[in-house]
Amino acid sequence: MKRSLLLISILIAGLGASVALAHVMDARRVADQDQSDETLYVSGPTAKRLALGFNGLAADWYWMRSLQYVGRKIVHFEDTHDARVSFSALGDLDLGQLASLLKASTTLDPQFMAPYEYGAMILPEINSDQAIDLLNYGIAANPNEWRLYQHLGYVYWQRHDYQKASELYTAGGKLAGAPPWMLAMGAHMKAEGGSRNSAREMYRHLYDSSHDKAVQDMVEKQMMRLDWLDDREIIRHVIAVYKEKNGRCPASWLEISGQLGEARMMSAPNSARGLKMDATGAPLDPSGVAYWLEDCDVDLGKDTQIPRR
Amino acid sequence: MSQTPSDATRQIESAQPPRGGTPDQSLSLSLRRTFAIARNAFREAVRDRVLYNLVLFVLLLIGGAIFLGELSAGQEAKIIVDLSLSAMLLFGVFIAIFVGVGLVYKEIERRTLYAILSKPISRGQFLLGKYLGLCATLFVNVLIMGLGVSLALVYIHRGWDPLVVNIWPAILLIYFELAIITGVALLFSSFSTPALSALLTFFVFIIGHFSADLKALANSGSSARFVFRALYYLLPNLTNYSAIAAASHGTVPDATSVLLAIAYAIVYSAVLLAAASLIFGRRNFK
Repeated sequence: MKRSLLLISILIAGLGASVALAHVMDARRVADQDQSDETLYVSGPTAKRLALGFNGLAADWYWMRSLQYVGRKIVHFEDTHDARVSFSALGDLDLGQLASLLKASTTLDPQFMAPYEYGAMILPEINSDQAIDLLNYGIAANPNEWRLYQHLGYVYWQRHDYQKASELYTAGGKLAGAPPWMLAMGAHMKAEGGSRNSAREMYRHLYDSSHDKAVQDMVEKQMMRLDWLDDREIIRHVIAVYKEKNGRCPASWLEISGQLGEARMMSAPNSARGLKMDATGAPLDPSGVAYWLEDCDVDLGKDTQIPRR
Repeated sequence: MSQTPSDATRQIESAQPPRGGTPDQSLSLSLRRTFAIARNAFREAVRDRVLYNLVLFVLLLIGGAIFLGELSAGQEAKIIVDLSLSAMLLFGVFIAIFVGVGLVYKEIERRTLYAILSKPISRGQFLLGKYLGLCATLFVNVLIMGLGVSLALVYIHRGWDPLVVNIWPAILLIYFELAIITGVALLFSSFSTPALSALLTFFVFIIGHFSADLKALANSGSSARFVFRALYYLLPNLTNYSAIAAASHGTVPDATSVLLAIAYAIVYSAVLLAAASLIFGRRNFK
């Protein structure tokens, strides 16, 4: 009986002590935790060799790790800055390991398309050479996959290399199973690669061909940004006309709401949407937030969802 | 529950040859005896709760189907296939190794082997029966797991998905890889202790997946290239059975590759069983 009591006491005391120690260790870990990247000790080819036939599973693990890596960086950024991370701010997140993680995933499973697509969208914001390396590797491993040509074309388009983008869209468009718009995009890119219309067209196809929600969200925001650029042109024109007529800038949206209303009727020949306004006459950006009027110019509101680039 | 001497011997006794039978009858009886041993090995595996690993597998599938969709950004079907076929291979390898190395050893340890070998059955037939019994266990295991994966895919897609069918050639290749591993385990257990046999079989499984490197070393200018060449041909080439990653993309290996891999597994297993029979036949159990 005495022995049992002693053992039970040790059990309870031991459990209590282990919980306390775990708390101390957790607290230390949070304090010590920095966002420096842990080194990838195992390269893709080595990981493939060590995977013993489980390379598909290892590729999935690297893929999920890539997503968590970006997610963790975003959470850390938002915890330490009083702002949400926009797509254009991805370069500020120090995503130095992302290319290696995606490369490891695709080396383990070269047919795995999701990391290529993700890399094509995210890596150009960090280092477009890494995106090009990743996609060239993908094309070498999957020469008949037209989507990879589409993604690589997108990366070159972002670098304003419209000639190369056009070549890639055309090459991808000639592959079996490629949709006809790939060839059309190739021609379009060659003729007016830098135009807003080309951009809109390309984002629309990216949206339609992607199954990744994150990519679709990003594309949606980029399309809204193009609409905002259209809106800005219209509003600036209305402001300029007002200034010419009255010799001063409008003090509020109300002063030009009539002209904006007229402009709305015939606005945005290149855009699918017209200029929308709220009850106070303030025009709304594509995410539904009122534009900001200041010093004879228009800008995005503070709460806007639209990326600046 | 363990096997009793009467379980194994009763079935063999029921396959006693009639006096003065023809060669055809003798072959048929020989097969019946081998199958009696196989049936018994299968029952023993079931009694040893080997198939309980299926419960763990189902839990893994359910967990994977529910949680991985959130983590993988829409890649749940691929990850379910990768996870479940990898688990199928891993569980299968553990069963092949740990049950395989005990097949002969347990009979010797419990002395039931003496009762069996006192019947008109050769040591080779005994080993073949044991091998077939474990292969049957693995077959049931892989079949149920494969059906589970197919159902999980139907659940994820809320309906039919071509992957449901396209994963089966990869499952077939996994099964034949396991058949080779079972043969290796049986070979080592015919002359070694269970612990050492398990270790050696696991090493063969690992080296079997490095056969591309062995071949590269065999083709290098190294002075040991002849050793590597010998090892390359001597050890099983298991990379031919790695079709999991391709299956997760719905890629079906071509029929010739699958048939060649199956033929290789059958031939290699026959070699392993012949070697095991040779060694086992010379063992002195006195």
